[in-house]
Amino acid sequence: MARILTIEDDAVTAAEIIAELQIHGHQVDYVASGSDGLAKALGGSYDAITLDRMLPELDGLTLIVRVREAGVRTPVLMISALSDVDERIRGLRAGGDDYMTKPFAPDEMAARIEVLLRREPPTQGTMLRVADLELDLMTRSARRAGALIELLPLEFRLLDYLMRHSGQVLTRTMIFEAVWGYRFDPGTNVIDVHMARLRRKVDAGRSPSMIRTVRGCGYVLAELP
Amino acid sequence: MTMPEQPPDAAPPTIALSDSWRSSTARLILTYGALFAAWSIILIGAISWETARYLENLVDQILQQRIHFLATVDHSRLPELLDATTALDLRGVMSFGLFDPDSRYLLGDIDQLPAELPMDGVVHPIPRGIPRLSGDRGRRTRGVALRRSDGLVLLLARDYGTVDRVGAIIRGSLFWAMSLTLIPGLLGGYVLARGPLRRVRSIEAAIQPIMRGDLRARLPISSRRDELDMLAAIVNRMLEQIERLLGEVKGVSDSIAHDLRTPLTRLRTQLYRLQRDSPDGEGSALLLERCLGETDALLDRFRALLRISELEDLHRRAGFRDIDLADILRRAHELYAPVAEDKALGFSLQIGPVTTVHADADLLFEAVTNLVSNAIKFTPAGGQIVLRSSASPQGARIEVCDSGPGIAPVEREAVLQRFYRTPRGQQRPGFGLGLSIVAAIAKLHGFRLEIGANEPTGARLIIYCSASAT
Repeated sequence: MARILTIEDDAVTAAEIIAELQIHGHQVDYVASGSDGLAKALGGSYDAITLDRMLPELDGLTLIVRVREAGVRTPVLMISALSDVDERIRGLRAGGDDYMTKPFAPDEMAARIEVLLRREPPTQGTMLRVADLELDLMTRSARRAGALIELLPLEFRLLDYLMRHSGQVLTRTMIFEAVWGYRFDPGTNVIDVHMARLRRKVDAGRSPSMIRTVRGCGYVLAELP
Repeated sequence: MTMPEQPPDAAPPTIALSDSWRSSTARLILTYGALFAAWSIILIGAISWETARYLENLVDQILQQRIHFLATVDHSRLPELLDATTALDLRGVMSFGLFDPDSRYLLGDIDQLPAELPMDGVVHPIPRGIPRLSGDRGRRTRGVALRRSDGLVLLLARDYGTVDRVGAIIRGSLFWAMSLTLIPGLLGGYVLARGPLRRVRSIEAAIQPIMRGDLRARLPISSRRDELDMLAAIVNRMLEQIERLLGEVKGVSDSIAHDLRTPLTRLRTQLYRLQRDSPDGEGSALLLERCLGETDALLDRFRALLRISELEDLHRRAGFRDIDLADILRRAHELYAPVAEDKALGFSLQIGPVTTVHADADLLFEAVTNLVSNAIKFTPAGGQIVLRSSASPQGARIEVCDSGPGIAPVEREAVLQRFYRTPRGQQRPGFGLGLSIVAAIAKLHGFRLEIGANEPTGARLIIYCSASAT
């Protein structure tokens, strides 16, 4: 369970965020104004913050700059009605860790918070391991129970991302952003096709799959129970 | 491939303004010039006719007076006086003849009496002239004959060529005067006509961006405040109104899309939660799955609509830099190759000798992937898709060719509009928005999106990556 601060002036959106995060078992503190948000962010020890970009009194950008200036490194997910690329870049430069545009799917928001909460420590060594799946970052090759899996460069990047966030739900948008580096919507089935190929290689006939589809949401790579 | 290079959606033929004589001023000057010339010709004719008639009457009177005088003098003085008549005439226009009562020749330059000349002492024209002893027949001769009281017949004839020559001199000088007036007049008119034409051309140039869809542009208004300026001002007021109305329409449709997106997102969330909480394998789970799918499709549609609107509003060029076209194409190919393979489509990448283009890399990638995605969507299994870059006279060229049903020439304009679907493509979702996004991105860059036909079948979509003036 994590402690999360939600700074949001729209009550309906706030209720949605709180409900979704509570479903995921988190404890949520909620403030509606920028100045209250700043005080709480600086005072309380939170694990993550959701921050509306446009707030009364003190706007989101200024708030995050102040928080970072005070040396607080709490991960921040910025939520904004401004979808322009420039706005996103501005938000991330100011110190935000991720950026979402309204309206958003709460499960996508929760998935992003999970990723922020479990930000991976810098990789130790050159190997990623999830159960019997190994990824060698130097040779860019993977092994499952010792058997070599041939990976295309793109498949390597995809598996790298999944393994670094093993056990976390990753939405298609998040995967497309992280692996391909683009922000637009490539259409629903493109990511699915790539995931299906990777899954076939990783599983090599085994069942159930290590890469599980989370219906209506995304994918998760996890150790089999 | 044997595709005509000429774009099918080339600009409609405009009125050629190169011909300066088409302007209204020039037409006015030409009409005026013709009237002036006609009037001058009438004037010249009248003056020369009047002058010739006056001179002819004068000479006729002199001839008549002289013959009446000669008729009265004494017979013995007659040869002497007749000789004096011609002796004073240095140019040889005068001639005479003296005949006995039986019309036999006695004296003078003329030895025959013209039969048609009445002997009434009145000057008459002699159309065929009179043969002279000196041999000269004369150009136009008038003569007078009179029988004296002693029976002798006197004949005086005169060549009227000099009188005619006066008329010719008058006509000539007036013709020159007319030419000297007309030619500078026409030249001046031509120069005057060019002024307004230049302004029409500048208006034509100012209208180009408006025709391309930039409704913020206005026609130029000079400080002269003349008819053209009044017209330009009227057009500008009209453009203002159109811009305002279009802005309202766009604003309304944007806010509809925006407002509907929020409840749709919430609906999707509720459905998602329902699905998550319901156990697998139930009938309702499948139903919920379908509901989620439909909601996602709706949300996709709204997202694309808002994306187009967003792209249309973007006027910045800040994100533009020289990017590697080959790299963009390789990434797009990498992203879609498995999708094509799953659909049993051949998907080849052909990188031509094109180095860099000036563009926003993310947007160009989005455009290329939209074209590829469309090609995959519309090409039946077993078909071929080619993604190609090449150099062309119109700049670097990105082509996406498929072997699908193609896009009929009449539909090529329409498919770029939002929500258009080909009649044959009714069942396939999301046709229009993909191409609209590509068109919006191309327009933002000043690139040209062209829809052609692939050989032997299919569509061929081309982006010419050379920024034209926007």
